[in-house]
Amino acid sequence: MQDGRVPVEPDGSGVVDLTSCDREPIHVPGAIQPHGLLFACAEGDFRIISVSANLPALLDLDPKDVVDRPIEVTFDEASLGRFRLALRQSEGPSGVPILMQFRGGGGAGLDSVVHRHDGLVFLEFEPRGDESEGAHAFFRRTSGAIRRLQAARTLADACAAAAREVRNITGFDRVKVYRFASDFSGEVIAESRDDGIESFLGLHFPPSDIPAQARALYTLNPIRIIPDIDYRPTPMVPNRHPTTGRPIDLSFAVLRSVSPIHLEYMRNMGIRGTMSISILRGDRLWGLIACHNRLPRHVGHDARQACEMVAQVLAWQIGVMEEDAVTRHSLKGKAIQRRLLSDIEELRDHRAGLIGNSEALLDLMGASGLCLYGRDGVTTIGRTPPIAAIERIVNWTIRADGAELFQTDRLPLLFPEAAEYADVASGVLAVPLSRSPPRRVMLWFRPEVTQTVRWGGNPEKPVEPGPDGGRLQPRKSFAAWTEESRGRAVPWLPHEIVAAVELRELVIDVILRKAEELESVNVQLARSNEELESFAYVASHDLKEPLRHIEAFAGLLGETIRGTGDARLGAMVGGIESSSRRLRNLINDLAEFSRLGRHAQPLAPAALDEIVREVMDDMRQRIEESRATVSCEPLPTVECDRNQMRQVLQNLLSNALKYRHPGRPCEIRIFARTDTVGEHRDADADAFVRVFVADNGIGFDPKYAEQVFEPFQRLHGPDEYEGSGIGLAICRKIIQRHGGKVGVEAAPDEGATFWFSLPLPAGRDGPSAPPAMTSGVD
Amino acid sequence: MTTREAASPTVLVAEDHNHDKFILQEVFSRAGIRADLRFVSDGEQMLDYLYRRGAFAAPGTAPPPSLVLLDLNMPRLDGRKVIRFVRADETLRHLPVIALSTSESPKHITEAYAIGINAYLIKPANIPDYVAKISSLWDFWMSAASLPSMEVRP
Repeated sequence: MQDGRVPVEPDGSGVVDLTSCDREPIHVPGAIQPHGLLFACAEGDFRIISVSANLPALLDLDPKDVVDRPIEVTFDEASLGRFRLALRQSEGPSGVPILMQFRGGGGAGLDSVVHRHDGLVFLEFEPRGDESEGAHAFFRRTSGAIRRLQAARTLADACAAAAREVRNITGFDRVKVYRFASDFSGEVIAESRDDGIESFLGLHFPPSDIPAQARALYTLNPIRIIPDIDYRPTPMVPNRHPTTGRPIDLSFAVLRSVSPIHLEYMRNMGIRGTMSISILRGDRLWGLIACHNRLPRHVGHDARQACEMVAQVLAWQIGVMEEDAVTRHSLKGKAIQRRLLSDIEELRDHRAGLIGNSEALLDLMGASGLCLYGRDGVTTIGRTPPIAAIERIVNWTIRADGAELFQTDRLPLLFPEAAEYADVASGVLAVPLSRSPPRRVMLWFRPEVTQTVRWGGNPEKPVEPGPDGGRLQPRKSFAAWTEESRGRAVPWLPHEIVAAVELRELVIDVILRKAEELESVNVQLARSNEELESFAYVASHDLKEPLRHIEAFAGLLGETIRGTGDARLGAMVGGIESSSRRLRNLINDLAEFSRLGRHAQPLAPAALDEIVREVMDDMRQRIEESRATVSCEPLPTVECDRNQMRQVLQNLLSNALKYRHPGRPCEIRIFARTDTVGEHRDADADAFVRVFVADNGIGFDPKYAEQVFEPFQRLHGPDEYEGSGIGLAICRKIIQRHGGKVGVEAAPDEGATFWFSLPLPAGRDGPSAPPAMTSGVD
Repeated sequence: MTTREAASPTVLVAEDHNHDKFILQEVFSRAGIRADLRFVSDGEQMLDYLYRRGAFAAPGTAPPPSLVLLDLNMPRLDGRKVIRFVRADETLRHLPVIALSTSESPKHITEAYAIGINAYLIKPANIPDYVAKISSLWDFWMSAASLPSMEVRP
């Protein structure tokens, strides 16, 4: 997902960029640097098929006497024996030093190296460096350098030591260690230099300064040298591969002539001699050891070998240090996971566990904020964007990256609205905890790092048209050019992403285990609920039998006693009669309550308007007796059990009539509002309707607002108002079965507004939907 | 009430519960019905009575009933099975059988008519109600309805 810098392409406005270098075929220049000689031989018979044109100048030999002739013509027998042995022993394209002597004498003071590539054998000669002093000295010097390098404890120390050692070996004015970033821009992270030369330490260079095909070549061939920038290239004669017919591929030739753009670049830097050695971590070009000299400087083969070893040891050191950092990070991560797991077990809640370990977690991830996002709740730890913004980030990452892990170190550049909260979320690592809805995501946030990058020259203004027309010229000025980078965070490193994935596994395990526990609890609960209901039903049925007898005997007794005119006995038997009547009502209500779940019908669409009309027709007489005015606004159609919904509305209307205020005419309003998901966060539906039954009756203290929905809870004595107190409990049970909620707003002497909510069928939000809720109850 | 004392009709009541027997007697008495109430406690006893066997083998112990009041839920042979016997027997098939029950369930009521009862009476808890129901029941079966004579059998 990381985007590179947007290249400024050549266009009509004449603005060009060094990315044009990407297209230059630098591996087939057809020429070499003139300080050495190059022979190309055919594999098999080793016939020389091409030679550099400077052969007469260096050795007093005519290419015509060499090219297309057996190799024995040019070199002596002993040399060719060594040559064949070296080739038998070498495999890849890496150079093997070899002593080669020309038949006609000459060539003293030249080192030679042989390598194979592209079906050819290349034999290169170059002047022996000043430093060449034999195998023993080489070993002593190199092993000393390696020992000092290995003593380094930090990456910076190791790089500085490497720069120092390479400078000791080669005598360059400036040796810098240059590290590539993920976008292939680079930074000078260590330097060893002569006091007289400008420091590059800390400077950044844009990716175009070392173009892609140069980086590819550096990965293949670890060392390059240009003893004199102002050399005149000497061509290969002929520059033609004998079997393919293509130009000769000089990828692995030390003498390979380099791009004129590169030379101009160096010249602009004020450099005459250069060498660069690749720092390779496996197949990856980690960085370069780049050497600069104000005057031409040739480094011989032995010294270059020593530098190459220094670079290899540095690469190894870097590897050890990076692996060490990863190992330590992983150990730290494991320790935190163990603590987290035990906390979660103890607290029985993964969120609480995460919150309790938030500091250690954020430290582990190098993050400043964490969010656990889910439809069942959002938990944030540390500094995070607002929840609404997190919601949009989550939706956007789903679109951007499917269900997989998403990470960026530059969110505002990819997702423009993130600029508003770049200070907390320039870096985001989003780890999905579930693939299917309900979607859960763990998001880590990193703040913006307002990095001040000192570029080695303005990276956006690198190119001027050359003197001979469209030819590119690298920028002339290398004065440091500072740029502030915005909307960027420290990148997520692979081992940090691994740690986040491990935490995900842990949280998923916990969530899954909790879901399993919850499910088994639910099953138990459902079973005991069922048992309770059938118990209540059977109990109420069996209670009825003796009760009927009590009532009957009380009735018989009552008639007998009333016949005698004994008032005291009459009152007593009257007490039995009314108590048994009340007991009967309670039992009937209990039976009804317990029957609700057993006699439920499947839900089907029904117009609430119609149901209200039916209920009002049924209750017409009571409404008239109470002199009540009942008004009903349009109500939506909902999925419901019609009979049960009738019962709910009947109970609510009946309550409103029953508890009317003695001092004013009874007014009842029935209306509906669409509800935001708000209180229904744990529900499946997206929209809810809330139906209100508002009265102007005697009301009650709002502290009983919950209690009134409990079975057999009454706020009034049985002598004041009839009823067992089951009506609202039945309403609640029915509404809960429909996936909704019930509630009431009330005040003593000021009436009560009962409401219930129901999920609306998906996709209905037409003109028939009731108006949205404004604030609470109107 | 046009029944003469000498010819008090016999009502066979199949009822297992003593309280219910007592209450029913009281209700009959308060309704002013002169009936000869004979009680059996389960379905087997009822069949013994109707076929004058077992405890009812002795002459005069089981006068033929004009009406049967049958509690549907009885131990051993329950009311529902007894009705099947009665309706299957040529000699008993025309006997009016009134079901007594506490269940108001429409399902139970429908089932009871399906097996051949003549009427379904939910036992009221309220004595005046009970008295009123038994009175009208009595008037219907003893006065309003004309029934085939027990003696004239096909």
